[in-house]
Amino acid sequence: MSTIVYAARRIVTMNPNNPFATHVAVRDGRILGAGTLETLRGWGRFDLDERFKDKVILPGFVEGHSHAYEGGVWKFPYVGFFERTSPDGRRSPGLKSIDEVVAALRAYEKTMPKDGSTLFAWGFDPIYFTGRRMNLGDLDKVSTERPVLVLHSNFHVLNANTPVFGKANISRHTNVHGIVKDEKGEPTGELQENTAKYLAYKAVGIELSSLLSDEPATWGFARVAQLSGVTTATDLHNTLPDSTVAAYETATGSPDFPLRLLPAFAALAMAPDEGIVRLTGLMKKNSERLRYGLVKIVTDGSIQGLSARMRWPGYYDGTPNGVWNIGPDEIDKVLLAYHRAGFQVHIHTNGDEASEVAIESVERALAAAPRWDHRHTLQHAQMADAGQFRRMKALGMCANLFANHIFYWGDIHYARTMGPERAERMDACGTALATGVPFAIHCDAPVTPIGPLFTAWCAANRLTASGRVLGAAEKISVADALRAITLGAAYTLKLDEELGSIDVGKRADLAILGDDPLTVAPEKLKDVPVWGTMVGGRIFEAPKS
Amino acid sequence: MIPFTVIGGFLGAGKTTLLNRLLAAAAGRRFAVLVNDFGALDIDGRLVAAHGGDTVALANGCLCCTIGDSLIETLLKLLERPERFDHIVVEASGVADPARIADIAVLEPQLERDGVIVVVDAAEVQARAADRRVGDTVLRQIKAADLLVLNKIDLADEPALVHDWLSARAPAPILEARQAEVPIDLLFGLDRRGAAGGKVDEGFRSWSYAWSDPVGRAALMAMLSDTKDVLRAKGIVRFADAPDRRSIVHMVGRRIDVSDGGPWIDDESRLVLLGPKPVLGSLERE
Repeated sequence: MSTIVYAARRIVTMNPNNPFATHVAVRDGRILGAGTLETLRGWGRFDLDERFKDKVILPGFVEGHSHAYEGGVWKFPYVGFFERTSPDGRRSPGLKSIDEVVAALRAYEKTMPKDGSTLFAWGFDPIYFTGRRMNLGDLDKVSTERPVLVLHSNFHVLNANTPVFGKANISRHTNVHGIVKDEKGEPTGELQENTAKYLAYKAVGIELSSLLSDEPATWGFARVAQLSGVTTATDLHNTLPDSTVAAYETATGSPDFPLRLLPAFAALAMAPDEGIVRLTGLMKKNSERLRYGLVKIVTDGSIQGLSARMRWPGYYDGTPNGVWNIGPDEIDKVLLAYHRAGFQVHIHTNGDEASEVAIESVERALAAAPRWDHRHTLQHAQMADAGQFRRMKALGMCANLFANHIFYWGDIHYARTMGPERAERMDACGTALATGVPFAIHCDAPVTPIGPLFTAWCAANRLTASGRVLGAAEKISVADALRAITLGAAYTLKLDEELGSIDVGKRADLAILGDDPLTVAPEKLKDVPVWGTMVGGRIFEAPKS
Repeated sequence: MIPFTVIGGFLGAGKTTLLNRLLAAAAGRRFAVLVNDFGALDIDGRLVAAHGGDTVALANGCLCCTIGDSLIETLLKLLERPERFDHIVVEASGVADPARIADIAVLEPQLERDGVIVVVDAAEVQARAADRRVGDTVLRQIKAADLLVLNKIDLADEPALVHDWLSARAPAPILEARQAEVPIDLLFGLDRRGAAGGKVDEGFRSWSYAWSDPVGRAALMAMLSDTKDVLRAKGIVRFADAPDRRSIVHMVGRRIDVSDGGPWIDDESRLVLLGPKPVLGSLERE
């Protein structure tokens, strides 16, 4: 029963009774206390560890909405617009034109064996490019021998080269939705619908879902989370096939695994009565680092993918309303089944009509089966307005807002999808705070990189990629933003009694930072360096880039 | 190639009832049916040959599968099974665009796109279409149909008005039904025995034509698309503009596909039409 006391430049505890400390005592993987060296002496013998004496310590960050695919995508080259860090701490530079993407892919192609195997790349993000779109000819410059596939950063659109189309039998005569064609009727190389994409993957022998969720991918996810100070992260939509469950169990079974992993069961994978049995069975496997129990329902699509369900007046540029992934009546049925069985349900809603339907569905579930402290959470709720937040509050719901969207897509929302007024109040952290809705903020990795300090920076500064301040009235303070990435997120996962603050009895999960996020200028918050983490008392130093 | 049919329609329109009728009437043909939820299917326990988690094999050779999270994955897994099926039918989810699902059969070489059949609840459809949350979804489904089944016609206050309302919004022919009672062969095609022609069933008739001279492509297409009550057609035709080729003509509702079937080796063109009885009588005279 050894005790270690860690000295730090400052410890920000998120415990209002004891908000700041200089020392934290850890015993048996838990917080024994935080305070000064003097106040901690009463616990008896300890070893003093001063390696963090110039570091600032916060509770380990909690990422309430991410996907473990983030760990798998790094098996493949990244070709996005923004710089991004891989699990081993290597930085991939942002690529600023089609030519730069092609050049990077050509260089990568030369490192591959000459066996005709498929080159798959991800993260392509052309929305800030001017001029033409990427086409077959561009990727044919990478190779005309091997299939080349480039997945866009939205994970929705796929570009391919001629060998892919050859193998998938796609030509000018293929009349299928989502095969983009030019004015002469020739396919451009872009695939925009699941059917066409899936069959293209199949034709070139790529099984993306299993490649992205095996054991190495799970480790990659934990490492990339660790780099950004995250100690607990959700895998917030997974059908949890046996292969994934096995990978999660093996990976999290290692004491070196630097993350508490919370998979959320994809409720639409099977009928609710079967799903409840499946999930209840999985929960028996729960351990310190692997927690089943969350349920996820996806109601609509994405705003930038033009598939979000919006209330009147709909898309700013006149695009027709998006599509339901599951109809309003079905949402009621699925939600009520899991609600009755006592589960907490996380409901993906991007558009405000989707949020409205979800809120009303929770209201009906509560009328049918009253329940306290359910904490059903709207995930994204990007377009929710003040009235919807007031209803969420009244019903005991939480929100997890997609603050990173302000930076990555805010300019697009302002100009094309939502228009100025609704874009200025998107991801309304200020309104959540004012109405008292418990809330978190998130990255939705791999859609945007995992990095809670960056996400907090977005919520505090609301700057878009072009530098526009989007909705100054919805800004929150750095202190509130830091709470949202720790205790706030833990609350939305019903783990706030165990995680999220540095307080007696809680898990010794810490984010160890190179600077003090409360004293740096708010616009520098994203640049605060992360030294590493502690998970259950074990120290995990981030690799240096 | 296996014919592939998608059954679309909003929740409660009668898709499952239609599938139950199909499974009951499937004698002689092996259907594989992909559904969202077994629970809703009326599978007679005595007819179940094997139950394997997400599949139920029936004694008549048919197989039911639950779709789970990914329709396309479930479908491709089905195609990997050793047993062959005569026809694959997918029940689209209540909010899906069934035409997008039918695209799978355009891209997957083992499948032949058959029809997109959309079932509509005659008593509810107008209210659904006016609902601000689901109206656009309902109309999208209706427009996607190759063939519409206007179900529960007996429950509509003014059946003729609903029929007119629907035909003003959708280009597909409309088949009225109660409790999804429709001639199964009309929707899913005749089996090999039935293709001989002249078969008479309750409420519909098939008619086969054979002729030796090449026929004008435009003329035949016009005839097929103008006679709105021919609901299915299948045949091997020698077109005047391609006299050396076998052109396979396949029509379901409003959709006509013509594909190349190799060099012309036959004695005569043959075409089988299916539709309600009285109309075909007049077609014969033409």
